[in-house]
Amino acid sequence: MSDLRISSVWRGAKINIRVNGKAVIAFEGETVHATLLAAGYRVLRQTPKTHQPRGIFCGMGVCYDCLVTINGAANQRACMTRVEDRMEIEVDET
Amino acid sequence: MKRSYHVIIVGSGLAGLAAADILSRYGLQILVIDDNAHLGGQLLRELPQAAAAENRFEPDRLKRQGVRLAARIKKGNIQVLNGTQVLGIYPGHILLVADSRGHVSEYCADALILATGARERQLPFKGWTLPGVMSTGAAQILMKSSGILPGRKTLIGGCGPLMLVLAAEILANRGEILAVLDQSSTVMKLKAVTAGPAIWPKLLEGATYLARLAAARVSIKQGVRIVEARGRNQLEEVVVAGVDADGRIVRGTERVYATDTLAVGYGFSPNIELPQQAGCAIKYSKARGGWFVDVSDAMMTTVGDIYAVGEATGIAGAGKSFVEGRIAAWDILKKRSVVDRQTYESNAGPLMRRRSRQVQYGRFLNHLCRLQPGCYAEIPDETVICRCEEITMGTIRSQLNNNFTTMNGIKKATRSGMGNCQGRTCGPILFDILSAYSHRPPDEIGCTSARAPVKTVTLGALAKMTVNTSQDDGDKCNN
Amino acid sequence: MKKPSQTDVVVIGAGIIGSSIAYHLARYKLRVTLLERDDIASGSSGACDGLVFLQSKKPGIHLQLAMESRRRFDSLARQLPVPIEYKETGGMVVIENEDEFSAMQQFVKEQQEVGLDVSLINRNQARKLEPQLSEHILGATHSPLDGQVNPISLTQGFALGAKSLGARLFTGVAVHGIDTTAGKVSAVETDAGRIEADIVINAAGAHAPEIGALVGLDIPIKPRRGQIIVTEFCSPMLRHCMISAKYIAAKFNPEIAQALGEGVSIEQTENGNFLLGSTREFVGFDKRTTTDGLHRIAAKTAGIIPALKQVNVIRAFAGLRPHTPDGLPILGPVDEVTGFFMAAGHEGDGIALSPITGELIAQMIATGKSAISLDAFRLSRFAVEAEKLEVSHV
Repeated sequence: MSDLRISSVWRGAKINIRVNGKAVIAFEGETVHATLLAAGYRVLRQTPKTHQPRGIFCGMGVCYDCLVTINGAANQRACMTRVEDRMEIEVDET
Repeated sequence: MKRSYHVIIVGSGLAGLAAADILSRYGLQILVIDDNAHLGGQLLRELPQAAAAENRFEPDRLKRQGVRLAARIKKGNIQVLNGTQVLGIYPGHILLVADSRGHVSEYCADALILATGARERQLPFKGWTLPGVMSTGAAQILMKSSGILPGRKTLIGGCGPLMLVLAAEILANRGEILAVLDQSSTVMKLKAVTAGPAIWPKLLEGATYLARLAAARVSIKQGVRIVEARGRNQLEEVVVAGVDADGRIVRGTERVYATDTLAVGYGFSPNIELPQQAGCAIKYSKARGGWFVDVSDAMMTTVGDIYAVGEATGIAGAGKSFVEGRIAAWDILKKRSVVDRQTYESNAGPLMRRRSRQVQYGRFLNHLCRLQPGCYAEIPDETVICRCEEITMGTIRSQLNNNFTTMNGIKKATRSGMGNCQGRTCGPILFDILSAYSHRPPDEIGCTSARAPVKTVTLGALAKMTVNTSQDDGDKCNN
Repeated sequence: MKKPSQTDVVVIGAGIIGSSIAYHLARYKLRVTLLERDDIASGSSGACDGLVFLQSKKPGIHLQLAMESRRRFDSLARQLPVPIEYKETGGMVVIENEDEFSAMQQFVKEQQEVGLDVSLINRNQARKLEPQLSEHILGATHSPLDGQVNPISLTQGFALGAKSLGARLFTGVAVHGIDTTAGKVSAVETDAGRIEADIVINAAGAHAPEIGALVGLDIPIKPRRGQIIVTEFCSPMLRHCMISAKYIAAKFNPEIAQALGEGVSIEQTENGNFLLGSTREFVGFDKRTTTDGLHRIAAKTAGIIPALKQVNVIRAFAGLRPHTPDGLPILGPVDEVTGFFMAAGHEGDGIALSPITGELIAQMIATGKSAISLDAFRLSRFAVEAEKLEVSHV
């Protein structure tokens, strides 16, 4: 595991989330986009017209590139949502 | 049913907090709304648990002040709505608001303070949409808000002081930096130094960062531009090259860095969408970072009892934000006769003087990020400009040749700016491209309009909202 | 900037109507100058949906024109230099209650009598055609002839097409005067200089009265605001474009409209976004959207296509339809000034009628008459009405 997590940071509780059905490590307080990046999911979606891969870009809710499906709701900005226990995330990596 | 307040502050960055802090001391009913889950905007991001960590020294004085303000606000009598997005502002100071569960409702106030902040600017290069290429702000936020490094080895590019700050933070978090590549030249920076005394403390800060980076043997280069990001499905390598004084690539100076993480940023752009939608007048100035909200010395916009403060009135950093938030708060207190003239003047006077120095500092800051018009001529045709709609530079160029040389014109002709982000990313870029191509003055090139909802909201939420168009609570929010 | 000089025809307004006229005039090899105060399609033509609906037209000259116009879209798609995204998707008028059902039964009969291919279908049939339709609808009327187009692309196609055929196009140039000599048009005064011309066409849409005033004419066009919601891109969800039966009622019978409220239109564009409209408001030239408008459109469209509830709205805007007292456009020469032609007031039908309007106006100017008579659309019809009123008051 790449572990981009910064060791000196004091994190919240470990929680259970799944990405594309697979269990992924997450800590309370992290945002979805960060948790995904730490778990190695860098490609988050494909663009509708030319099917180009997109991931994190602005990180602050402006660019709408980091769109993923969260608990069944499509097109959610991963960088504006905090992870929650039992969250189901779908990422379109194809 | 509209919920009404004396003052609603939109944005809890330093400007919003500074205003809330003053207003809260006088018993007014205040509401602070922020779309983020935390208080403090972009500057004061941190992991929720980190707030409890002791003995963490923060070198940035304004940040320290901001942290204290945020703590005071949290403990005080001010209502705060986090994860809440203002969708639009209507006559009578009525705000249409979507909360974190997507419920849409209306709020109103006697006065509004719009502290909507800024976003980062970019200079597109081939491949900049690849996963792995992110803004310098995004890299910072990953570390500050979630404690996660942006990558194993990060290459940093662009222009402006944020690059150095990011580099220092990555080092502090034991990440690796491949290099810091500044597109502006040393000469440009030296010219900017003549901006006046306001910048000297900042220069000192900059020198501290440089020293830290030098000690860690981080390679810092001037006059180097990002030319291309390459990779099959995500970033694998970055091509850079030297640039001349006009921002043009010097052939033969190309170099390739192998990395999966590139953080780029080219200054900032004021978030004017909400003030614009509310009918506030905007102006253009390169020294302020582009289009900004036009305000009086007391921070009042052209719409009565709507104030704009902070980066929204011009990019100049946290110091200006803090001061402007205070100024707006004092003006409201004076207008409501909560404080007498003397109290007002003894507080507002020094703040206004400080403000002009901060605006001066802003000129310096924006000059550092000034991109030569020649930059745009070299963007290859296949480079995406509007990321949302995937519109390329080639399409933009052919429509420029068809005489679509205003922002509204190019938007209609190419669909740029019609996607999810509504032109927040491509707008400032397109403006510069139009400017470089047509040499028309800013007012002719114009700015696209902002309409509610200024950020996305589901149709279902709009369908369910309770709209109260009666005049019952009109008295409180009469205008 | 090069000064515009002699020309045969000046067209004022590069919206859909003006651009279409300029294109068709250029095809007749006339020297055309198209003047636009802002940008191509910067007015109503750039703030509307793309429905090319026959079903919503009143049987009579209006529907006749619409049917003729529709036939031109395929060839225009081939001829114009910009892809116009015209698709014959078929259209549906959604019926939500018994009153509407009876009204539509009658309407369909009248339309079928004039030869429109339209049929009344029940809920099951409707939902078979469009699975996303709510199970609460009663039924619909369906016509395979209805379709949609991209209005901005179509406007640009006409304007750039005109240019490629030799027309001169000036954007950012406003008209502030029209010179006449002995009751005949002789020149147009603009910010960029004087243009001599014998023929001027007023295609300024909701602003047509301002141009009419320059030659002392009182043009009874006023802006009627229509708000539109735009959603994010969705993968194809809707095949047909649709309007609600209330839309037709609201347009033609204000009394029904009062009781039943406004109607809505639903279109999924080529790009994948949904355009959801609309309101009908007389608020002058105010192009702002309102909370109430957003709410009503959202509630009604989500009621017809429930899956839309989860879709994100990315923007809303408003266009100003050029409204006339009788709901018909004002086309053709005016009695008072020789050489001054009207081509405005299409209220909500501008896109669909743009091909035929351009063709007939151009034909009239180039050859002296039009294949379909435009007498019913003349400006003078309002003077007759005014006279009638005066007489009745004596």
